[in-house]
Amino acid sequence: MTGWIDHLTVTPIVLPLMASALMLAFDERRRVLKRVLSLATAALLIANAAALVWFAGDGSGPRVYLLGNWPAPFGIVLVADRLSAMMLLLTSVVGFTALFYAVARWDRSGPRFHALFLLLLMGVNGAFLTGDIFNLFVFFEVLLAASYGLILHGSGTERTSASLHYITINIAASLLFLLGVALLYAVTGTLNMADLALRVASTDAGDLALLEAGAAILGIAFLLKAGIWPLSFWLPRTYAAAAPPVAAVFAIMTKVGIYVILRLSSLLFGDASGEAAGFANEALLYAGLATMIFGIIGILSARQLTRVAGYYVLVSSGTLLAGIGIGGEALIAAMLFYLVSSTLAVSALYLIIEPVERNADEEDMIAGIAEPVFDDEYVGAIEEVTDEEGVIIPGTIAILGGGFIFCALLLAGLPPLSGFIAKFAMIDALLKASEGDPAGWVLIGLIILSGLATMIIMTRAGIDLLWTPGEDAPSRLSLVEVVPIGLLLTVCLGLMLWAGPVMAYLGKTSSALHQPAHYVAAVTDAPQAGSEQ
Amino acid sequence: MDDTRLLLLVLILPFVGSAIAAFLPQRGRDVAASLAGFNALAGAIMIASLYPIVSPGRVARFAIAWIPALDLNLTLRLDGFTWLFAMLVLIIGALVSFYARYYMSPTDPVPRFFAFLQAFMGAMLGIVLSGNLIQIAFFWELTGLFSFLLIGYWHHNQSARDGARMALIVTGAGGVCLLVGLMLLGRAAGSYDVDAVLAARTAIQNDPAYLPALVLILIGAFTKSAQVPFHFWLPHAMAAPTPVSAYLHSATLVKAGIFLLILLWPVLAGTESWFLIVTSVGLATLLVGAWSAIFQQDLKGLLAYSTISHLGLITLLLGLGSPLGAVAAIFHTVNHATFKASLFMAVGIIDRETGTRDLRLLSGLARFMPITATLAMVAAAAMAGVPLLNGFLSKEMFLAEALQAHSGTVIDVALPYLATLASMFSVLYSVRFIHQTFFGPAPSGLPHEPREAPPWIRLPIEILVLACLLVGVLPALTMGPFLATAVRSVLGDSAPAYSLAVWHGFTIPLLMSFVALLGGIALYVLFRAKLNDTERPPFIGRLKGRRTFEAVLAVIVEAARALLRWSGTKRLQVQLRLVILAALFAGTLPFLRFGYSRGPVPDTLIDPIFGLLWILGGACAIAAAALAKFHRLVALVLIGGAGLATCISFIWLSAPDLALTQLLVEIVTLVLLLLGLRWLPQRLTDVWPAGRKPGTVGFRRGGDLLIALLGGAGMAALAYAMMTRPLPDSLSRYFIEQAYPGGGGTNVVNVILVDFRGFDTLGEITVLAIVALTVFTLLRRFRPAPESIQIPAQQHRQNAFDDAREGHERGDTLLHYLLVPRAIIQWLFPIILMFAIYLVMRGHDLPGGGFAGGITASIAIILLYIANGTRAVEATLQVEPVRWISAGLLCAGGMGLAAWAFGYPFLTSHSRYLAIPWIGDIPLATALIFDIGVFAVVVGTTVLILIAIAHQSIRAPRAKKPVDAAPATPAGEPV
Amino acid sequence: MEIVLALAIGVLTASGLWLIFRPRTFQVILGLSLLSYAVNLFILAAGRLRSDAPPIVGRDPASADPALYADPLPQALVLTAIVISFATTALLLVVLLASRGLTGTDHVDGEDGGA
Repeated sequence: MTGWIDHLTVTPIVLPLMASALMLAFDERRRVLKRVLSLATAALLIANAAALVWFAGDGSGPRVYLLGNWPAPFGIVLVADRLSAMMLLLTSVVGFTALFYAVARWDRSGPRFHALFLLLLMGVNGAFLTGDIFNLFVFFEVLLAASYGLILHGSGTERTSASLHYITINIAASLLFLLGVALLYAVTGTLNMADLALRVASTDAGDLALLEAGAAILGIAFLLKAGIWPLSFWLPRTYAAAAPPVAAVFAIMTKVGIYVILRLSSLLFGDASGEAAGFANEALLYAGLATMIFGIIGILSARQLTRVAGYYVLVSSGTLLAGIGIGGEALIAAMLFYLVSSTLAVSALYLIIEPVERNADEEDMIAGIAEPVFDDEYVGAIEEVTDEEGVIIPGTIAILGGGFIFCALLLAGLPPLSGFIAKFAMIDALLKASEGDPAGWVLIGLIILSGLATMIIMTRAGIDLLWTPGEDAPSRLSLVEVVPIGLLLTVCLGLMLWAGPVMAYLGKTSSALHQPAHYVAAVTDAPQAGSEQ
Repeated sequence: MDDTRLLLLVLILPFVGSAIAAFLPQRGRDVAASLAGFNALAGAIMIASLYPIVSPGRVARFAIAWIPALDLNLTLRLDGFTWLFAMLVLIIGALVSFYARYYMSPTDPVPRFFAFLQAFMGAMLGIVLSGNLIQIAFFWELTGLFSFLLIGYWHHNQSARDGARMALIVTGAGGVCLLVGLMLLGRAAGSYDVDAVLAARTAIQNDPAYLPALVLILIGAFTKSAQVPFHFWLPHAMAAPTPVSAYLHSATLVKAGIFLLILLWPVLAGTESWFLIVTSVGLATLLVGAWSAIFQQDLKGLLAYSTISHLGLITLLLGLGSPLGAVAAIFHTVNHATFKASLFMAVGIIDRETGTRDLRLLSGLARFMPITATLAMVAAAAMAGVPLLNGFLSKEMFLAEALQAHSGTVIDVALPYLATLASMFSVLYSVRFIHQTFFGPAPSGLPHEPREAPPWIRLPIEILVLACLLVGVLPALTMGPFLATAVRSVLGDSAPAYSLAVWHGFTIPLLMSFVALLGGIALYVLFRAKLNDTERPPFIGRLKGRRTFEAVLAVIVEAARALLRWSGTKRLQVQLRLVILAALFAGTLPFLRFGYSRGPVPDTLIDPIFGLLWILGGACAIAAAALAKFHRLVALVLIGGAGLATCISFIWLSAPDLALTQLLVEIVTLVLLLLGLRWLPQRLTDVWPAGRKPGTVGFRRGGDLLIALLGGAGMAALAYAMMTRPLPDSLSRYFIEQAYPGGGGTNVVNVILVDFRGFDTLGEITVLAIVALTVFTLLRRFRPAPESIQIPAQQHRQNAFDDAREGHERGDTLLHYLLVPRAIIQWLFPIILMFAIYLVMRGHDLPGGGFAGGITASIAIILLYIANGTRAVEATLQVEPVRWISAGLLCAGGMGLAAWAFGYPFLTSHSRYLAIPWIGDIPLATALIFDIGVFAVVVGTTVLILIAIAHQSIRAPRAKKPVDAAPATPAGEPV
Repeated sequence: MEIVLALAIGVLTASGLWLIFRPRTFQVILGLSLLSYAVNLFILAAGRLRSDAPPIVGRDPASADPALYADPLPQALVLTAIVISFATTALLLVVLLASRGLTGTDHVDGEDGGA
C-alpha cells in the first residue's frame, strides 16, 4: 500500500531533516553548495505540499501515514487532510521566498543559517502533519529551538536580549504543554488525537475536571504561541529584532498555534461536547477581541515599520481567534482565507521593510505622524513654492514603492489584492451568522478599525520613506531581493483572481473541521503496510 | 446578447493602457498621451454603440463567475443612466488626456502620469459599469488609490503629499463605511446584484438594518463627494496637476458619490431619514461652498469651493426625494461636468501662460489671450447660471424644485430663499473670476509675460464650451433624448413630465435667477475691493478642516501610545507572572465547575524512607530558592540535591532508565552551570539606591511568593487527584505485549523510544542538534563582560608562584596538582567509553540506550578536558562535534528511510538476535542502528556545548583581540 | 506514597516558580530546572505509582502481562522531556552568558532596574 505517493505525507518532515543533516557535513566554506541544496529542498517542499493539496482536494478523505508501520492508536500517525495540506503549502511558499531573499546577503551574517532554516521548516511541517499530541510537543520544540537559533542569527545586543525573553517564556510554555499532555494521558490513556477524540467523548463525569484542566493548560500553551493578549508582549519585539528573512518566515509561527487550537477544538470539543466547548469558545472570542484591540493600539503607536508588522501579526491572530470563538462553517472558511492572505502579506512586508528603510533613517519616519502640520487652511499654490514638474523616479524606488503599496493594500484589506476578499468574506459571514449578536458587530468594527489604522500608518510611512525627496541617492536593490517579494504578491494576486476555487476548497476544509468523525475514522481504520500477507 | 462583451473590453482597455504606459520610456509623452486618448475615445465609441440596447429602457448585462460561494461575481451592467455617466467619464477623459499632452512640461516624465490617469479612469468606469454592490466598493477604493497617486504626482512638493494623504485617508475611511453599508443593503435585499437590489425597495426600507445601511452608505458618498463636514480634503487636492483637477473634480472622483446616490435613489430615497440627512447636508454644502468660494484668492481654490457648492446642490436635489429633483440632479451633474472641466482647463492655461493663479495679481488678460478669455467667460457664465447656457437650465429646475413643498418642515419655507442666496453667491464668485482676471488694467509683475495659448491646448476647452452652448440653446435637440433615457432607467414608471425648453414664460424660478444675477453683480460692485484683502472667508473661516484632521490623527497616535504604555510591558518578570497566572486560572476553572475530589483508589502506604528522601529533597529545593541570589554555588549544589532526590524516586517508582538518564544529565548540566558561573558578575550586595528598597519591592515579592505557593499547591492537588484515580486502559498494554514479539526488545521503554515512538526520538535528537548549532553560533561571537575577563585570583597566585621559580612554565603548578587524577583518568577514559558503548548495545533489553551512552561518552571527554586542560587535549585528539551530529542524524534518518526500499513506511524496523561466542546473543534490531545515530548526535551535541563554553576561559584573557575566535576550531569551522 | 509525591511535586514547583520570578538570569535558570523536575515527576505520576516493577519483559509471550509492570509510556515521555529540557537549559545558559557579555548585567531585562 505504501507507494511513493503515500510517502509524500512524511517527506515534508524527512526531506528538510536529511538535507540539513547533509549540510552539517560540509563546513561553511561550501556556501554555494549549501545555497543550492537548501533552495532545492525548499522548492521540493512547495511541490510536495502542492501535491498534498491536490490529493486532499479530490475528496478522498485524509491521508494517514503509520510511522514504523504500527497500528493506529499505538504508533505515531501523520495525517494530511485539507487543512494540514493547505498549511503545508502556505509554509513552504513563505519558507521558499524567505530563503531566496536570504541568499541576497543575510545568510552570510552568521553560520549554519540554511541548516537552521530548513530545520525550522521541518518543525512547522511536523506540527501541521502529526496526529499525535506528544509528537506535536516534540515538533513544537524542534521549531522553537530552530527559531531560537534563527533569532540569534547575526547576533547583536538587541537580538540577544530579545531572545533571552523569548526563550524563557517559551520554555515555561513548553512545561505547561507537558503538563497538559500528562493530564490528558492520565485521564484517557492515549496520545493519539483521533483516539483522544473517541475517549474524551466517553469520559466519565468524575474525571471531567482533570480532563478539562489538562485541555485548558494546553490551551494556554497554544494561545501563547498564537500571540494572544496578554501573553504576547514578547512577540513584536522579538520579530523586530530578527533578521528580515527570519521575521518573514516567523509570520507562519503564530499560525501554528492557531492551527492546533482549530484542530484540537474541532476534535476534542466538537459539537458533541456542550458546556465546556461553549465556555472555551467564549474565552477565545474575548481574548481574541482583546488581542485585536491591543494590536491596533500597537500599530497606531509604532515608530518603526518592523513594529507595525509585529503588531499586525497580533491583530491577525486576534481576528482568527475571535473568529474561531464565534464559529460557524462560513466564518471559519473566511477566516482560513484571511489566515493565508494575511500571512503572505506580513511575510512580504517584513521582506520589503529593510530595503525601503535602507536609504531613510527610521527615527523621523512614523514618529513624524505625532507632530501635526499646524499651518493655515488652504491657500493653494500662492505661498508655497511648488515645482510643477514631475521628478524622474529611479527604478529602485518605483519597484519598492509598488511593492510597498501592495503590501499596505493587503494589510489594510483594500482592493485589488486578496486582502479585500478576505475582509469581505469575513464580514459577510459575520453578517449572515450573527443575527443581532453584539460580539459579531464588535468583531466587524475591529476588523474595520484595524484596516483603517494600518492604512493611516502605512500611508504616512510610505510617503515619508518613498515620496519625500531625500538628498542621498537610493541604495541599490539586488534582483534576489525583489523576486521573492514579487512572488509573494503574485500569490496574493492569484488568491484574488482564483478566489472562487480557493473559497470552495476552504469551504470544504471548514465543513470537514465540523465533522471530525471522518478524520477519526480515517485514522483508526488506517491499514498497515503488508497486512494483506 | 453578444455585444455586451464590449462592456468588459471598455473596462479592461484603460488598465491595459495603464500597464503599457507604465513601461514607456521617460520621454514617451506622445505615445502615452495618444494611448490614453485613444483608449478613452474607443471606450466612448463602444459605449455609444450600445445605446440601441439601453434606449428602449433595457439593461445590458455581462457576467463572469468569480466567487459564487459568496454571491460575488464580476457583473457589468449598462442602463440609460450609467450609459450617460460612462459617456461623460470617457469623453472628458479623452479631452483631459489631450489637454494634458500639451499642458505637462516637456521635461516631465509623463508616462507615469498617464499610467495613473488611465488606471483611474478604469476604476471610475468600474464603479459606473458594475452590476454588483461589492464590485462598486471594490472599484470605489481603487479610485481612491489612483486619485492618491494622481494628486501626489508632484510628490516632491509638501502640499501635494499632504493633499494626497488627506484625500486617501478621508475617502478611504468613507469607502470602508460604504462597503459595510452596501453589505447591509445587500443582506436586506437578499442579493448583492444591483438589479436585484433595485427591485427590492420595500424589503430594504422595511429592514431593521435600513437606517445603519443608509448612514454608512451616505458617509461613503459624502466623503467622496466632499460634502460638509468632509469637504476639507477637496481644496487641498488642488495641489494636483491641473489636468487631474479638471478630471477628478468635474466628471469623475467627486461625482462618484453623486453617482451612487442617484443609482440607489430608487431604493433608498423617499424616507424621512433620507430626506433629513441628505437635504440638510446638501444645503449646508451648497452654502458653505459658495460662501467660501467668494473669498478665495487662488483661481483653483475658487473653482474647488464652487465645485463643493455645486455638489451640494446636486445632493440637495436628490435629498428632496421628488422625481423632478432627481431629473434636475442628473441634468445638473452633466452640465456641471462640462463647464467645470472647461473652467479648470482654462485656469490651467492662465497659470501656464502667466505663471500665477493669484486673483490679486491677475487682471486685464482679455487683451493678451482673447480666445481663452472668451471661452473661460462663457464657461463661467454657465457656472453662474446665465440664460442660454446649460447651467441656466438645470439651475432653473433646481429653483423650481426649491419652491415645491416636500416635507412640511421649516426647510420648505427656507429653501427658496437659501437657494436664491446660494445662486447669488455663485454669480458673485463667477463675476469676480471673470472681471478680475480678464478686465481692468494690464497686469504688472507677473512671473512671465502673458500671451495667447497655442491652439491645440485650447481645443478641448472649445469643444466643452461649445457643448455648454448647444445644450443651453437647444436642450431638447441635444441633451433631450439621452436625459430622457437616463431618467427613465432611474425612475422607471414614476418618471415625471418635464420640459427642457429655454423659455417657460415669466415664472417665479426665472424671477429668482434674475434676482440672483443682479444681486450677485451688485454685491461684486460693492465689495470687490474688500474681497481682495480678506485672507479667509468670514464666519466659517475659523473652521479649519485640515488642522482638525491633522490634530485628530495626532491625538489618536498619542492616545494609542499612552494606552500601549498602560496595556503592555517589556519586562520579562511581568510576562512570566502573566503566563503562570493564566495557567493557574485555566487549571482551576474546571474544578470550580465540577468541584475537586480525590479519586477512588486508596493510597499505597507511605514508605518512611521515601518520605525522608523527599523531606531532604524539598528542603534542598526551598533552600536553593532562598539562597540562589547571593550564594550561587551553594544554590547549584542544593539544586543537585533536589535532582538527586528526583533521580532516586525514579528508581523507586521502577523507572531505572529515567534514573540513569537523569543522573547523567544532572552531571553534565552541573558541569555546564559551573563553567557558566565564572562569567556572571559579582553579586552586588546593595542594588538599591538608598531608601527605595522597601515598599514596592516587598509588595512585589509578596505577590511572587503568593503565586509560587498557589502554583505549588495547584500542582500538588492536580497530581494527587490524578494519582488516586484508576489508570484507564492505556496504550501501554499493547506496548508491553508487542515489545518483544514486535519490537525485538525486552526493555519496553527503550523499544518505545526507538521503535514504537521512534519518530519522537528523531525529533528529540534534532532539537539537540539545533541547540548545538545555536550555542556554537552564539559563542563564536562571544565577548565576555570586561570586568570578568581578568583571570581568577587563584590562577593569579599560581602564575605568580610559577614566575617566581626559574625553570617553571606558567600553569606547571596546576599540572603538578593534577598529576594523579590525570593518570587515573587517562586509564579510565577507554573504560568509560567501553561502558558507554555497552549501554548502547544493551539498551534494547536492559536500562541504557543511545542517549545514556552518548552522555556517558561525553562525560569521559569532559573528564579528559578537566584533567589535562583544553589545549593539551585538543593537541592530541581532534573531536569534530558537528560532524558527529551530522553523521548521527543521517544514520538515524537513513535507517528510517531504508524501510521504504521494502515497501514499508518510514522508521519501520526489523529485528533479530545475533549470537556471538562468550558475549551471548545481542539484539540486532535495525532499531539499534537508530540508537547508534542517537548516540552520535548526543556525543556531538554535549561535547560541542561543553567545549564551546570551556573555550571561553582560555580565550577570555585575550578576548580583546578579535583575531582569536578560538571556539571555532573544535567544531572545525572557519575562524 | 501518592501524597508524598504530590507534596514533593508541589514543593519543587513552588520553589521553581519563586525562582523564575526573580530578576537575575541565573536564578531563572535554576528555577526552570526545578520546574522541569516537577513536571517530569508529574508525567511519571500520570502512569500511576508502581514500586519495583520495572517494565522489562521476559521473552516468552506469557510474561507480557501489563498488570506486572509499571506503565512504560510515561517513562518514555519523561525521557524525551529530560533530553529536551537539558538541551534548552544549555541553550538558555549560553544566551544568558552572551547577554551578560553584551549588556554587562545579568538582569533579565538587560538593564539594571533592580529586582
